Amino acid sequence: MTSGKVIIALGLVVAAVLIQTTVFQHIRPLGYAPALGMLTVIALSRFLDPEQALFVAFTGGFFQDLLSASPLGLWASTFTVVAFIALKVRDREIAGTPAVLLGVFGLTVIGQLTYAVLGTLFGQGIINRPEFIGHVFVPALYNVVLAYPIFWLTKVTVRPPERTWAA
Amino acid sequence: MFPSGRRLDRSTALFITLLAVGFLIATFDVRSSGDSVTTVIRGGAQTLAAPIQEAIDLVVRPAVGFVDGISNVAGLSDQNERLEGEVRRLEQRLLETSALERRVAELEAINDLAPPEDLATVTARIYSAGASTFDQIRLINRGSDNGIVVGQAVVDEDGLIGRIDLVTKSSARVRLITDPLVSVGVRVQDTNHTGVVTGRGDDLLRLDMFDATEPVREGAVVLTDGSLFPPGIVVGFADETKSADVGFALRVTVDPAAAFSQLDFVKVVVGWSPLDADVEDRDPLVKAPSFTEPRLGGA
Repeated sequence: MTSGKVIIALGLVVAAVLIQTTVFQHIRPLGYAPALGMLTVIALSRFLDPEQALFVAFTGGFFQDLLSASPLGLWASTFTVVAFIALKVRDREIAGTPAVLLGVFGLTVIGQLTYAVLGTLFGQGIINRPEFIGHVFVPALYNVVLAYPIFWLTKVTVRPPERTWAA
Repeated sequence: MFPSGRRLDRSTALFITLLAVGFLIATFDVRSSGDSVTTVIRGGAQTLAAPIQEAIDLVVRPAVGFVDGISNVAGLSDQNERLEGEVRRLEQRLLETSALERRVAELEAINDLAPPEDLATVTARIYSAGASTFDQIRLINRGSDNGIVVGQAVVDEDGLIGRIDLVTKSSARVRLITDPLVSVGVRVQDTNHTGVVTGRGDDLLRLDMFDATEPVREGAVVLTDGSLFPPGIVVGFADETKSADVGFALRVTVDPAAAFSQLDFVKVVVGWSPLDADVEDRDPLVKAPSFTEPRLGGA
């Protein structure tokens, strides 16, 4: 069961990254795209066991690294950080749609900021770009919009146990 | 075990381990260059993902084109107004440019900087963008099998798009000129002064000139100077009129000629060799352009 769930989860992240690189090269309202891979990792962190979630986040992030322009390992590290924080907050006594959406927004912002810091440390010069703030916050807003279908999809595919931090 | 005696739980230990692995991989990738193992892995992943990405792109392209059109309706009015102003401005400029064209033609003849009209090109379709909103890359469906190698210029009907920085047998990655890691040697058509255009990570470019004895006028055409890209390709248009305040150093914002949000088909200039150019690049992923080097994913 465990390996099957992990493989399905990995498939979801890979599919999200592939959709990100194809569909959202055309649909970019205001010039920004959602962070679909990160959103899928956030959703999966709600439903998977901690070790599984971290493994899926790292591997999924590494796949995103392979299809992006930055040094390998940056998205892997970023997704791992996001999954770890999501794991830490998922069992808190927070419930209801607003809390989940706020969580998605906050985690995406944290993820984008983490990547920006790591990218800048590794020579990508992200933080001093003119539209840096937009790159951090607008994808987080789009992730909020896409949160419900992604949470539903992950819920029906990885069959979670009951949690308090549910959509 | 923490100093306090509290044991590190398994997920935290795994988190720290994965983070360390991620940092190690990133460090190794940055430190390595050329045909390193990370470049080969990246090329392999690109090769594997390309058919799926192309299939998704072909399926969703009509639908997303429709959705994209709707989402852009709000901006069409502003765009129309801006374009009308642009047309008026260009009509005025047209009257001025004939004399300038003659001058430029003479200078090009003297400097052997002929526009790249007769250069061999390979037409390619863009099927994928970068995996994140920070990425300034596009993937095209032509690779080393079509004569594409790292370092070649990529253009469309409007002007310079970017530069090939990763090649597999059937696909290639284009790093756009809007990427802060890409610099282009340019000259301003009006004055023939040279400078360097660098990406800013957004929709605009930055032109740095170090010997600007004359002001750069708004709308001035900025062309490649032939140092790393073929000469005479339109890079963009100066966004403002500006003259050097101190000395001859001048920084001007440039509007790219190409519309990067609407890229579909592009041309890779395969008939021009940058072998004599200064191939030093700040991006460790970008290999020195060469027509003889081994190609990633090749036999």
